[in-house]
Amino acid sequence: MTAVIQTTNLTKQYGTQKAVDSLQLNVKQGQIYGFLGRNGAGKTTTIRMLLGLVKPTEGQIEIFGENLFKHQKEILRRIGSMVEHSGFYENLTGKENLLINAKLMGVHKKTAIEEALEIVGLEQETKKLVGKYSMGMKQRLGIARAILHHPELLILDEPTNGLDPVGIKEVRRLIKSLAVERKLTVLISSHILSEVEQLADQIGIIHQGRLLEEVSFEELRTRNRNYMELQVSNDNKAAMLLEQHFEGVEYEAHGEGFLRIYSHMGQQGKLNKLLVEHDIEVTRIAISEDRLEDYFIKLIGGGTIG
Amino acid sequence: MVNLLYTELLKLKRAKMFMVSVTGAMAAPIMMFIAFLSMKREKPETILTFDVSFYNTNLNVLMLIGTLLYGVIAAYLFSREYTEDTLKNLLTIPVSKTSLIVSKWLLLLIWIFALTIVAWVMTLLLGLVGQFEGLSVAVIVDSLGQFFVGAFLLFLLSTPIIWITMLFKNFVPTIIFTAVVTMANLTVIDTDYQGLFPWSAVHMVVTNSAEFVYPISYSYAIIFATSVFGLAATIIYFRRSDID
Ligand SMILES: Nc1ncnc2c1ncn2[C@@H]1O[C@H](COP(=O)(O)OP(=O)(O)OP(=O)(O)O)[C@@H](O)[C@H]1O
Ligand SMILES: [Mg+2]
Repeated sequence: MTAVIQTTNLTKQYGTQKAVDSLQLNVKQGQIYGFLGRNGAGKTTTIRMLLGLVKPTEGQIEIFGENLFKHQKEILRRIGSMVEHSGFYENLTGKENLLINAKLMGVHKKTAIEEALEIVGLEQETKKLVGKYSMGMKQRLGIARAILHHPELLILDEPTNGLDPVGIKEVRRLIKSLAVERKLTVLISSHILSEVEQLADQIGIIHQGRLLEEVSFEELRTRNRNYMELQVSNDNKAAMLLEQHFEGVEYEAHGEGFLRIYSHMGQQGKLNKLLVEHDIEVTRIAISEDRLEDYFIKLIGGGTIG
Repeated sequence: MVNLLYTELLKLKRAKMFMVSVTGAMAAPIMMFIAFLSMKREKPETILTFDVSFYNTNLNVLMLIGTLLYGVIAAYLFSREYTEDTLKNLLTIPVSKTSLIVSKWLLLLIWIFALTIVAWVMTLLLGLVGQFEGLSVAVIVDSLGQFFVGAFLLFLLSTPIIWITMLFKNFVPTIIFTAVVTMANLTVIDTDYQGLFPWSAVHMVVTNSAEFVYPISYSYAIIFATSVFGLAATIIYFRRSDID
């Protein structure tokens, strides 16, 4: 897969603070990339740099395989974006706002605006001025603006910010279906793991300006699978029994009688019975909590998120 | 550029600012008219002429109302992309920063000319109502020339005002600046320095009437230098600055 976004050593310094610090971002074609980090982690600053709004202190950005600073105009034309809250002219309707954007984007197709409004479900609001829009409506209009010119790459900075739970779900579904139908590559930032979990193929976790991890969700899930933890009197014998009686069992021995079993979840009753029948004393049997969220919190520091 | 100018016009749809500015532009002729009427009441023998009426209205526009009003309009046009947070949308389309400034500046010129027409027509109409004397083709041509040249020079002097707006991304410092400029106009008016302060120099250049202490070319040079400086500062600053 070819890289759509690739940054090298990307850094933005404000005074003495490095808002973004030596970032190596890799977004591949066709991916939905979840860009994850707490408030102030540097997500928006990174996105502003990707869009040429903010000049990096150091580092390089390549988008579609080309240097952003050398080919900014051509590259930006192929990107649809929404940075933080979407700003619009409040004395105009949604349609008029999109008309301004369409004109400047060189979108001449008459139906393009209606199409975009329909996709985000704003086609009924023909008379309402944007000044009277709710937050959620503005966010939708922002998405409509981003997809108006059929970009190949969507860069969305917390697009579900300020939406209610139903709205969040809808926007998530919208992004997913756009990505599939139009074969888009999507970079979407968020500070909630569970929000991108259902959407992204790949995540990058940024904390205090640094990219802590860039990993596919698949691998993350495997790595952070739930398990049953056992404490037994004889772990060697227990392991042997496991292999005999539980086909395809995946486990790890952690010494001092501790075993972690990653397969056969929900069969702890059967497991217990087996061990006890073979004179192995089971002092502890426990199921791990949701490890993905734990992992995220551990990685970027506990406490409150977002 | 045509598209940019068109979208700039579209952005003004339903904006109250345009009507407010038209009202503002009518203020100068109306104030002049009222002053004439009260003069006439005190001294009924005074003869009111179109010539003087146009001259006074234009003086008022160039030294007082125009500086303030055109400053406010410039601040409005250039600060709104910041206050409505639409700048990032435009720049990621992408629209070039220089073209954006130039298109807004052109719109400002159109706007100022429209208001100049309003002020001139208003002066004419009030003169007809008040039965002023001496309306001739020469008076019409001369006054139109003076109104438009003055307006154009004030337009040129909008660049430092635009620069300040971009610098602070906000209305308020610009309003303060234009207020200070207006007060400075009042301070130097009828002094030797009137031709040296760019904004007050406009009126001297336009009327070409006062006895110059300094050569008129100084006034021209000062006006153009101020304008070029403002434009360069605006473009250089804008091109270099981060958008956040
Ligand atoms: N123009 C600026 N000047 C100074 N510091 C800035 C500027 N912009 C951002 N920062 C700092 O950079 C850091 C990263 O900010 P950024 O907005 O990128 O975070 P974020 O991950 O988008 O956070 P959030 O989830 O709250 O949107 C913050 O500490 C912020 O204060
Ligand atoms: Mg942010």
